[in-house]
Amino acid sequence: MTASLRPASLFLALVTALVGIVLYCPLLVPILSSFFTVTHGQADWSSPTFAAYVALAQNDDILSALRATMIVGFSTVVLSVSIGTLLALYHNGRGAGAALLQFLVFLPFLMPPIITGLALLIFFREVEFPRSLVTVVIGHTVFVLAIVYRTVLTRLRSLSKTLVEASLDLGASRWQTFWRVILPNIAGAMAGGAVLAFALSFDETMITILVTGTTSTLPVRLWAMMRLGFSPDINALVALVLMFTILLCILAARLLMPAKDRAAH
Amino acid sequence: MSESRELLALRSVSKSYGQVPVLHGVDLSIRDGEFLAVLGPSGSGKTTVLRLIGGLESVSSGAIYLDGRDISAVPINRRPFNTVFQDYALFPHMSVAANVGYGLSVRGRPKAEIGKKVAEALDLVQLGAFANRQPAQLSGGQRQRVALARALICEPRLVLLDEPLAALDLMLRRQMQEFLKSIQREIRTTFLFVTHDQEEAIALGDRICVMEGGYIRQIGTPHTLYYRPNCPFVARFFGDNNLVPGTLGAVDGDLRAIDTALGRLVCSTGGDTALMQAPEGTAAFAAFRPEALRPAVEDDVNRFSGTLSEISFHGAATIAHVATTPGDVRLRLRLASQVEGIALGEGETLALGFSPAQSHLVLA
Repeated sequence: MTASLRPASLFLALVTALVGIVLYCPLLVPILSSFFTVTHGQADWSSPTFAAYVALAQNDDILSALRATMIVGFSTVVLSVSIGTLLALYHNGRGAGAALLQFLVFLPFLMPPIITGLALLIFFREVEFPRSLVTVVIGHTVFVLAIVYRTVLTRLRSLSKTLVEASLDLGASRWQTFWRVILPNIAGAMAGGAVLAFALSFDETMITILVTGTTSTLPVRLWAMMRLGFSPDINALVALVLMFTILLCILAARLLMPAKDRAAH
Repeated sequence: MSESRELLALRSVSKSYGQVPVLHGVDLSIRDGEFLAVLGPSGSGKTTVLRLIGGLESVSSGAIYLDGRDISAVPINRRPFNTVFQDYALFPHMSVAANVGYGLSVRGRPKAEIGKKVAEALDLVQLGAFANRQPAQLSGGQRQRVALARALICEPRLVLLDEPLAALDLMLRRQMQEFLKSIQREIRTTFLFVTHDQEEAIALGDRICVMEGGYIRQIGTPHTLYYRPNCPFVARFFGDNNLVPGTLGAVDGDLRAIDTALGRLVCSTGGDTALMQAPEGTAAFAAFRPEALRPAVEDDVNRFSGTLSEISFHGAATIAHVATTPGDVRLRLRLASQVEGIALGEGETLALGFSPAQSHLVLA
């Protein structure tokens, strides 16, 4: 208890509050106003309504964008989790060129998305690969791979090396060792990485705009709509996206918490 | 025990990691049913020996034989040995029972058989009531016993133990030593136990193999190593001997003279032919334990005077450092704390001696 009264803790609390106020409180405005009708820029505070949400559910553009986002998100998750886990396993086994591999995996994550997007765009054009949701999935996978790779690698590193040795020593094959010892211990990290990958894919805009064909994903749609000003349905969409993202973050945090801590709670 | 047959043999086994050699042409024979302790400081290669036998590493040259058959190329999961790891390596996501049954389960044995054997193995290590616990819920000593049960359930020809007691506190370590020894007698399986603790090696080993710098220095019973070390390293590491360098002199029966900075000393050769036959002038050490050193008596042949310093009381014994005249050789002296008529004091000089029978020679 006394610890929370120390100046450092107070300062930290203050910064946290400030971050909350500056970054996230403004979002309350669209969320609040999504429940009221707005005419000529004036909200009518007297009668709350779900009208904006109903309109959203009937907006075919939004629905098809949502569907595209989901397809891209799930495909990206499947690809990035499989590839990221394989690369992490390779790296942890001290495969040759691990440092180079890590560099390559992290490059698109650290580069500005516009660079990655442009590079991919030029590549797809040069090899005459038609732009579509497939190219979006490729772009997203390249972008989020680092997250899954890192999450799984961190968990692999925290596992005692002797676990694998013990399994082999007890007569298990390499394959049995993978299924029975390694996989159960990295499953949480893979799931956590998957959720983070989905969250990143869900709101990725820059790469998507550059490499998509004619289909829009939800953030691209949202961005296009916002150029015409904040309408109630945009407000409603922002509220929904925010809620969904928060849920994903909570899920990821729970999944990535080490099993030991979870047992203690 | 000495008549029992050879189970496993290492023949000129060497191991290098890249350019770094860690084991130099080691020969070792393990007898069926014995408890062999491999003792050495860190970096001596003792863990490498265990890992090579277990198949966790492969030999760089030389070969390992089981029942006379070369098994150097047999992969780890097909060797009939099981290891108890230093950090226990229990699978954190499995219950105690699943951990213990793992070796049978991966071999595809029927569930009923696994259940029965797991119960037996857990009873053997007195953890029958803990089958459904998770490893994280166990104490260090309990985890250790689960690791042992898991290694024993596959009925290995040889159990390899890699400093399994190092992480336990002193009291628990003593208990576990007795426990290991009694289990080994009960199931009559060969144990190879790696340790850096000489007391532990003495407490557990039927024989002890002392290693240093990638070489085996001496193999023998604790008694042999204690009383007849064959090299300065074993004498120092194993028995805390005082070592006084010198050159060999005349042989007189089982005894032999050695000229040192303390003058001419007479020490036992223990009948060792190498020591008896070494030409005069050969470099050697006079070795005697701190407790062999004592106030001189009338007919001592090994006699010199020493000045005491750093006297420390250890209950039953009192230990002091001694600077000798002549020679100013540094020795350690260990006396029973209560000796009639003697009061030890810092800076005090007294006549000291040791009997040839309580000393021995070691070739340099």
